[in-house]
Amino acid sequence: MRDGERDQRHADSQGAQPHESRSKRQVFRRTVVLMLMFGVGLFIPLIRQLWQVSVVDHEFYQKYAVEQQTLDVSVAASRGNIYDAKGNIMAMSATVYDLILSPRDLVASVNQNEFKEDGVPDESAYNAAIQKKRDLIVDELVRVLEADRDQLNKRMERTNSAYEVLRRDIDGELADELQAFIADNKLGYSLMMVPTTKRYYPYASLAAQVLGFCNDEGGAYGLEAWFDSTLEGTPGRVVTAKTGVGTQMHNSYSEYVDAVNGYNLNLTIDTTIQSYVEQTLEEGIQKFDVRNGAFCLVMDPNTGAIKAMASSPDFDPNNYSAILSEGLQKLMEENTESIYETLKAGNTEGLSDAELMEQAQSTAYSDAVNTQWRSKVLDSRYEPGSTFKSMVLAAALEEGVVTESDTFYCSGSVMVPGWNTPISCSVTSGHGTQDLSKAFSNSCNPAFIEIGRRLGIQKFYDYFEAFGFTKQTGIELPGEASLTGAFWDRDKMTNVDLAVASFGQRFEVTPLQMVAAFSAVVNGGYLVKPYIVQSITSQDGAVIQNTEPTIVRQVVSEQTSQRCAVMLEEEVNTGTGKNAYVAGCRIGGKTGSAETNEKGRTIVSFIGCAPADDPQVVVLLAYDKPQESSRDRRVNTYGTYISGGNMAAPMAGPLISRILDYMGVEKIYGADEAAAMDVATPSVVGKTVDDAASALEKQGLKYRTVGQGDTVSRQVPSARTQIPSGSSVILYLGDAAPEENATVPNVVGRTYDTARKVLENAGFFMRASGVSTYYTNTTTASSQSIPEGTVAAIGTVVDVQFSNTVEDGAVATRG
Amino acid sequence: MARKPRRDLTVEEQLARGPIDLPFLMLVLLLLGVGLIMMFSASYATAYYDPNVSSPLYYITRQALFAAAGVLVMYFVSKVDYQSLRWLAVPMLIGSIVLLALVITPLGVTINRAKRWLHMLIVAGPTYQPSEIAKIAVILFFASRLSKRETEEKLHWNQHMRAGRVLQTLDDVGFLELVPYGAILALVGGLMIMEPHLSGTILVLAGGAAVLFAAGIPLRWFFLGGGAVFLLLWGVVSFTPYMTRRINLWLDPWADRLGDGFQTVQSLIAIGSGGLLGKGLGKSMQKFLYVPEPENDFVFPIVVEELGFVGACLVLLLFALLILRGYWLALHARDKFGALTIVGIVTLLAVQVFLNVGVVTNLIPNTGISLPFFSFGGTALMIQLAEMGIVLSISRQIPAPKND
Repeated sequence: MRDGERDQRHADSQGAQPHESRSKRQVFRRTVVLMLMFGVGLFIPLIRQLWQVSVVDHEFYQKYAVEQQTLDVSVAASRGNIYDAKGNIMAMSATVYDLILSPRDLVASVNQNEFKEDGVPDESAYNAAIQKKRDLIVDELVRVLEADRDQLNKRMERTNSAYEVLRRDIDGELADELQAFIADNKLGYSLMMVPTTKRYYPYASLAAQVLGFCNDEGGAYGLEAWFDSTLEGTPGRVVTAKTGVGTQMHNSYSEYVDAVNGYNLNLTIDTTIQSYVEQTLEEGIQKFDVRNGAFCLVMDPNTGAIKAMASSPDFDPNNYSAILSEGLQKLMEENTESIYETLKAGNTEGLSDAELMEQAQSTAYSDAVNTQWRSKVLDSRYEPGSTFKSMVLAAALEEGVVTESDTFYCSGSVMVPGWNTPISCSVTSGHGTQDLSKAFSNSCNPAFIEIGRRLGIQKFYDYFEAFGFTKQTGIELPGEASLTGAFWDRDKMTNVDLAVASFGQRFEVTPLQMVAAFSAVVNGGYLVKPYIVQSITSQDGAVIQNTEPTIVRQVVSEQTSQRCAVMLEEEVNTGTGKNAYVAGCRIGGKTGSAETNEKGRTIVSFIGCAPADDPQVVVLLAYDKPQESSRDRRVNTYGTYISGGNMAAPMAGPLISRILDYMGVEKIYGADEAAAMDVATPSVVGKTVDDAASALEKQGLKYRTVGQGDTVSRQVPSARTQIPSGSSVILYLGDAAPEENATVPNVVGRTYDTARKVLENAGFFMRASGVSTYYTNTTTASSQSIPEGTVAAIGTVVDVQFSNTVEDGAVATRG
Repeated sequence: MARKPRRDLTVEEQLARGPIDLPFLMLVLLLLGVGLIMMFSASYATAYYDPNVSSPLYYITRQALFAAAGVLVMYFVSKVDYQSLRWLAVPMLIGSIVLLALVITPLGVTINRAKRWLHMLIVAGPTYQPSEIAKIAVILFFASRLSKRETEEKLHWNQHMRAGRVLQTLDDVGFLELVPYGAILALVGGLMIMEPHLSGTILVLAGGAAVLFAAGIPLRWFFLGGGAVFLLLWGVVSFTPYMTRRINLWLDPWADRLGDGFQTVQSLIAIGSGGLLGKGLGKSMQKFLYVPEPENDFVFPIVVEELGFVGACLVLLLFALLILRGYWLALHARDKFGALTIVGIVTLLAVQVFLNVGVVTNLIPNTGISLPFFSFGGTALMIQLAEMGIVLSISRQIPAPKND
């Protein structure tokens, strides 16, 4: 203002007109106003706003800036493999490619500047060049991938998009061919093969529920899910800056993190045993018309290592959403119908029939896939039935409330205080007086009610807990069944509860608990924790983690365990489990049949170990709901008596035998058993009859002669054929020649000796299998491997199955 | 032309040879230098990724050439005795109105849906905006006419006729003298808004109004005029969906952050991620095809991103100093014409800076306006420098303070 004032004075002193001076003053004043307004005033809001955005809200904008300016590319880590106990690959990952098209970059890759005529853009030539490039790609993809041309063309038109997935999971030669095509035609900017991994399961459905499967997010079920973080490794990252249109920029902001590959899992599962088990399940399901699936668990009782875990119906993890099992498909169709009816009845939203049907189908489908993904071994509970008597026996022996010399009387039923109807035994006529071992092999309910009474509720409950029935086993697999409501509280347990619990009813256990508890009964008394992952190794072989067997507690003493094993073996040799008998295997076990709340659904099971004196393997095999016959509720549609002894035991015996053979456990034969073993026929052709006889005798074989002469000219069967010991070899003397073929006679229903005689007379040999008592001719043949009336070569060995119908069925405790 | 010795010069000529105002010149050159550097930094990525542009240096080489030429122009203009602009203003104004009219004809060049440009040689040559010329022409014309306001003879109306009495009343309240200015503003502004060129219109109105204000036009007319403009704007905003949408975008650019709000949002992200001290010169990330036209209207966000709040304030400080020095020169100008001319030119500059920075910081709705000395645009820069030359020319004739 000082300048201004001076200026004014200056103007005044020059003696200008007052009018002029006033006007000048006004210009001066107003310019000063403008000066303050535009030179200072305007900048105040600007600076304030700048402060607000760049300093106060810095964090907010910085977040957005980083988000949009960085390109975070994940570098896939290779997922670990899953191996079985023998090092066979059960699950592996392979690199496959996704084919990605960027219609936007395809257009951008054609330089518009190249299409100018005298500086004027030539639109049509430019468009033609783009179209030519498009056609090149479309033609190739139609040829190689058999892609739909119209659809491809449609996607080409989406020029705003930079990411069109044309095909997923391309592998092998197809991938190579496409890579070459992209490289040859320099299409790398618009057509890309992006590597990803795909999970392969070489054994297809084998142990499917154990392995589980992977979906796009990683492991979704089974071990794949439980060990997802172990298997998947840590993906690497490349963080780079990118431009506004997504172009990657390698500059000082770039950051690289290497991928860490996932670890491998080495399971205790043995694929061979697993395949035996799954085969046995399917055979049984077919044989007994089982409607609700089946499960089987094989465990090493000494360590808790699970050797096989199978559940039917199963699925193929390579294609996990497809429903494989025919039974399940049929069930799904039935369910669709019933769900549809229900929906239709409650249709309040006015949906059309087609929509309702669609809903019903999707519900039924999701039920079905969930069923096949579930492992019954893990997430189901069942009433153990008579198999539970093994633990009651062990507890009673340990507590000394019973001894082998105690006797029990069974009248066929017994009254329990607190229950107004008698509880009956499987044999309604009663077992009479029996010692402990007999009571166990008869699976006598009144006897076990008495044993339970002697234990008392508190002791019973102590052992129930000690055998691990009140806690989950804690196996490293997802979905172990919850035990809520599976059993009684200690203080709420009544005498009636105790009575029925003594023979395994009115409470539920999981298959895993059952196998662990049974293992404790036979392995010297130790409850072991089941495990399925033996070790975790890195991809270069270093052991990251190794599982040592965990002994949870000792439940009973070694002596008690041994006493139990003797009785379990006796049960299989002579009792309700005798259909599981296999010569030389020394199987000890217990059958069980449990009714369920569902009408007509019985779960038949067998739990056993072998060899009984030093168990190497424990097997639990169960079939859920063999279909009842409409005529007789006690038998199934094919006429087999519905019980563990008639269904699970005969399937379990051969299974255990095969497992022992596979494991290389030496079979120990009793005298009777040795007599029936297979032997190789010696070569006796050219020998005299006497020499031949002594050679045959050495092998335990008999003989009969046909024709006249001193020397053997032919023999049936020929040398080095395996036939059962005690069979008669036919020696042809002189010119006598054997018939080429003969007709197989019927032996079903005959005793052991008769059957053999009939077959040998016809020129065949018999190999017997089945229950242990056939030597005594108390059992009869139930089936023969070559049906009656078949013409077969002389000397053929016919397998004959002997079995007995055992009365171990479920007891009608309900009404 | 041989240089005449000092003693042969007339007083007028001697005055025109006075020293130019060094602070003002220095501020102009400083801003020009900083502007060139920042424009280079901001435009580099755009040029680099543009397949139609041959070199990453595309923008800066052109801008630098124009800047050099502009500085020469500024020097020559500063040598011209600005008194001659008094009469030059009339043909300039007429010429610019003709050019503005030409823009609306098919001769006009359309860029980004707006038809604001003409070729230098009508059908060929580099493009320029006639509105740039119109702005300075309007200011010169207003200044020259208003500087004679006090000496003009009063018109006398026939008091016996009703029309005469009405006119007399209108003259007495100062309305009649405003009619030619209003008509010119309406004509020029109208032509510009038809392009459409809203920001140019605002600048012309602001420049013209500032000259009128400084010349001493009664305040009531500014209130009336401001009120009228406000009502007009309010009507336009409420009744044209396009403008309503713009206002909504201004209030919440994030609502359509990938669509029409994209430019504003990206600008805010650039400014916001700059923080207090910025990422460092040349280290902007937002210039990599995020902020649209970082070399042009949106150069300032890149300045903030790279130099931070502090750097941006320094740039604004330079502008403020230039503007203050400009008004200071106006206060000391030798005559009213000089003072009013400077007021007009400096106000134009100030409003343009305000509008640009206001837009990029989302303080005001987006109008599409460049930042003087920073934004890419050769002819605009040259005209800007020529305007600075006029200011310098006026500064030469400021009488030296007497040493009493």
